[in-house]
Amino acid sequence: MSVVPMPGTAAEIEPPVSLWRDAWHRLRRNKLAVFGLVVVVILAFTALFGPYLTPYDFLSQDLNSRNLAPSLSHLFGTDDLGRDVFSRVVYGTRTAFLVAIVVTFIAVVIGVTLGALAGFFGGWLDRIVMWLTDMTMSIPNLLLVVVINASLKSPITSWMESRYLATLNPVYRETIWVDFLLVFGSMALISWPPYARLVRAQVLSIRSRPYITAAQALGLTNRIILMRYVVPNALGPLIVAVSAGLGTAMVLESAFSFLGVGVNPPTPSWGNMISDGLRVWQHYPHLLAAPAAVLGLASVAFSFLGDGLNDALNPRGAK
Amino acid sequence: MMMASNIRPEPPAKTGERLLDVKGLTIEIETRTGPATIVDGIDLHVDKGETLGIVGESGCGKSLTMLSMMRLLPNKIKVTKGEANFAGRDLQKMSNSDLRKVRGGDVGFIFQDPMTSLNPVMRIGQQLAEPLIYHRGMSKAEARKRAGELLKLVGIPGAEDRLDAYPHELSGGMRQRVMIAIGLACNPQLLIADEPTTALDVTIQAQIVDLVKDLRDKLGMSVVWITHDLALIAGLVDRINVLYAGTVVEDAPVDALFANPSHPYTQGLLASIPKLSDERSTRLSSIGGTPPEPGRRPKGCPFAPRCPLAEAICHERVPSLEGLGQDGAHRVACFVAQRKLEAA
Repeated sequence: MSVVPMPGTAAEIEPPVSLWRDAWHRLRRNKLAVFGLVVVVILAFTALFGPYLTPYDFLSQDLNSRNLAPSLSHLFGTDDLGRDVFSRVVYGTRTAFLVAIVVTFIAVVIGVTLGALAGFFGGWLDRIVMWLTDMTMSIPNLLLVVVINASLKSPITSWMESRYLATLNPVYRETIWVDFLLVFGSMALISWPPYARLVRAQVLSIRSRPYITAAQALGLTNRIILMRYVVPNALGPLIVAVSAGLGTAMVLESAFSFLGVGVNPPTPSWGNMISDGLRVWQHYPHLLAAPAAVLGLASVAFSFLGDGLNDALNPRGAK
Repeated sequence: MMMASNIRPEPPAKTGERLLDVKGLTIEIETRTGPATIVDGIDLHVDKGETLGIVGESGCGKSLTMLSMMRLLPNKIKVTKGEANFAGRDLQKMSNSDLRKVRGGDVGFIFQDPMTSLNPVMRIGQQLAEPLIYHRGMSKAEARKRAGELLKLVGIPGAEDRLDAYPHELSGGMRQRVMIAIGLACNPQLLIADEPTTALDVTIQAQIVDLVKDLRDKLGMSVVWITHDLALIAGLVDRINVLYAGTVVEDAPVDALFANPSHPYTQGLLASIPKLSDERSTRLSSIGGTPPEPGRRPKGCPFAPRCPLAEAICHERVPSLEGLGQDGAHRVACFVAQRKLEAA
């Protein structure tokens, strides 16, 4: 007895089109999303290769050429210490990307882990995670960052100074990392709840789909089902959220630096450059305009890209 | 455990040895007003090499019984009483890790909706390989090779090229063939097919039934086929259990059931199948009323409120499944049918 063959021949088979390639085709048709993608790629390139692109060192001062207007030798002019603003904006892009990527990465790891476990297993685990999420979201983020900075920064800095004096170990000499560490830590601490909620909601809906029952009927372990069946299916909305989250993290970093609780001078950040520029904007508008424009552009680009990804990855939701 | 070397070309020999034996399984669902019984002390059995058809209308607990037996249902639905023995071991008391070895390893499943029962973001070759790697400890390369063979086995053209396809690139019938291949991946002793043709159109339905029939004969496994379409499985199954409101009301070899349907509900089901010989003007026969809601089961026979033959006793006591005739192979849970036979 032979098995009833399927009608149709091998010749009719088209090459497989993956879901991602499909989404890429849809994304390419969206002009705003392509604009966002191009800007994000340029900014990322700038951040990655910053040191090779800048004509001047971001720290070197030239007190003979202070507050110069934009020109060919200084594209964005110079600031009150004669530092090249273009170079500082480029290094500010490095700061912004570094903070955004590290913070978003930590937040996504925490959020996805907690959200997926809560949604998949439910019960008391779900209640504890959701309680933790609500609690974290109820903390005013600015207040938390200010408190962390005020309470932890000076003890850590002075501890490192004393370690350096005691051991002369160069690891302890550079205290810029304390800035970053505190910024990363405090921002990640307040950024994970939206990811946890999103992933939990996704997992709750995916958990009841027939292919999950089918996977269980195959005798697969919960770990395999969670990692290979649940999480990959929740990825679409997560990618959209991450894209938007990167933009938000950049703006947040600038906001904190603007207020003096984020990255501190002399490390350049769009935020502390805007803060410096704001004091003298009537006289030297370029000192405010350059970092503000780049910040605005980055923020808009990430939001367009996020929207485009949303439409591309959820075709049913698109117009 | 059935290994590949045991492949038999002939229909599997019926040894009369119990493979699956469900005794008094009671399933309850938690509702706002308290627990409601959906399946009330069901008894089922499948012998080695036997094909059992489970028939009944929507919501009578067909799928629920099979899924809850394998503990595949959400927490709200619980088995409160009874046992389900598979190859002599109670699935209800088994540890989770032992149960995982039975699922997919010894018992394969095919589900109702091939459109949603495959993981949409995983290539089908990978989905086929998953149980092989997990249950048979195959390497990725071995599993992929076997996955190609399985696709060929279920008659998918260009099987090897199809391994890298995503589910959305296949038609419904092809996806159901993939589901069957996944269900058969580890040479299970029992294949549970939960309305595998309901979502497919009629010509594909017949193909799938023929496919399972061929594969059963080749691989020598037992099959439980859940459906509401009596005519579809007439040529496939050895025995039919008719389910109503979570109890077996009639259990008979397939020929006996069609020749001599004894329960009024079975008679109603058979009468409601349209026949080509009917006059065009004839109205399709149907059974009046609706099945009882869970938690609002009548006191006596659950079918009594809809039964044209119901008597006083039917509203008072629940009939048990009793054998008719000499060998007792044809069993029915109906006072009227049992008495008629005694009188004859």
